[in-house]
Amino acid sequence: MGRIDTLLDQCGSLSSAPVVIARVASMLSSGEYDPGEVEKLILADEAISASVLRAVNSAQYGVPGRVFDLREGIIRLGSNALRQIVLQQKSTEMFGEAGEAYGLRRQDLWRGAIGGAFAAEQIAEDRRVCDPGLAYVTGLLRDIGKLVVDAAMGAKAFRTTPAGVAPTGRFVEEERELLGVDHAELGAALAERWGLPTRICNAIKLHHSPAPLGKPGADVLTDVVHAADFITLWSGLCVGDDGLRYELAEHVRESLEFNRVAAERQLVETMVRIREMEDAISDRPDRGAA
Amino acid sequence: MSEVAREIKARKPDEHGRVVVGVSDLALSADPDATLITYALGSCIGVTIYDPVARVGGMLHFMLPRSTVNLEKAANRPAMFGDTGIPLLFRSAYELGAQKERMIVCAAGGAEVLNDDGHFRVGTRNRTMLRKLFWKNNILLSAGETGGNKSRTLVMPIGTGQVSIRNRGQEVVLWAA
Repeated sequence: MGRIDTLLDQCGSLSSAPVVIARVASMLSSGEYDPGEVEKLILADEAISASVLRAVNSAQYGVPGRVFDLREGIIRLGSNALRQIVLQQKSTEMFGEAGEAYGLRRQDLWRGAIGGAFAAEQIAEDRRVCDPGLAYVTGLLRDIGKLVVDAAMGAKAFRTTPAGVAPTGRFVEEERELLGVDHAELGAALAERWGLPTRICNAIKLHHSPAPLGKPGADVLTDVVHAADFITLWSGLCVGDDGLRYELAEHVRESLEFNRVAAERQLVETMVRIREMEDAISDRPDRGAA
Repeated sequence: MSEVAREIKARKPDEHGRVVVGVSDLALSADPDATLITYALGSCIGVTIYDPVARVGGMLHFMLPRSTVNLEKAANRPAMFGDTGIPLLFRSAYELGAQKERMIVCAAGGAEVLNDDGHFRVGTRNRTMLRKLFWKNNILLSAGETGGNKSRTLVMPIGTGQVSIRNRGQEVVLWAA
């Protein structure tokens, strides 16, 4: 059994697919997004239903305290907002408590996931290079490999690095040296186990090393998620012991016209959306970190 | 007292005595039992100010150097940018009795990604803006640790004003009385 399978087998309940996320990801990837099915998923999940009612009664949608019927809420919000609420709710459950292996505080990994989702969606929208919904869900899931490391190894994952020592060089290489595999590869393997579409698995695997156009594995979706990862890094939403030890792929700057002005605009938009979302959540997580 | 300063002053410590300063956020305290802390600064910069006589301290965690990137957002979230956050940090401390000439000022963060050859330089531009703003306003940096590509957690207990940086389980004192 390879190192990847060993770690996946050690990560407990994480190895089985979060049904709602897997279904929404598949619908977006195939281009057959079915609002009716999303409605069924919402009605079957108590936590998501509560989030829908909270959202539709927030000031953002202009009807605070007036909508008590879930079906009315679903109609009022519309399919894009519903999709985001479904994914945000499930990702909170998935990412909320994780991150210890990477020196992150509670909720940081979740903020990083949501930040990456927002940034990827916006880059896809601005550049019109791929479906924004697909970019959103792929940006959201890009670091699920960190969940595996966290669940399988916890705080001891990088303990062999002496305290206070700040290694240099690419962090994914430190992961390969200490764990035998990096989080991007692990995340792709987990996504495959979950049965997620190949395109999403590929983007997760290559989100730190996207292939240039014409090379095997090249996909603009991966480029978008790679750029979104840097937005999250610069925003400070999810900086752990890995610091900023990542390299930006040169071809992505050109293919997405990803420059300083565009990056700063994305940074501000992403941070504002995160703060607005946190403000809108009544049981707001402790404010945090980067 | 301005509305913003009133809101900043109202931040109470958590059950561990910590006032957590998030990204694009700032906080002040005159509570000797409180500790200001901001976690894992990357390219962002954390600034601390402390008046040892008034025993008032403040901490800012800004993300980008200049508010011109989005003036509307800057008006609502001034702590997001260095050029709006730093003046607000000082003004708010003055409202709590701090005086500029007594202020101990420290900074940390401003790291870079590995291969940024000048296209983005978010951390470097944050550092440059900080230096220029302090120079223009005759503010001396008492201590600082910036640059590189590691994360830094910045801590300042109000009781002593000591400023420390934590990284990967080790704490280094930047400034102490």
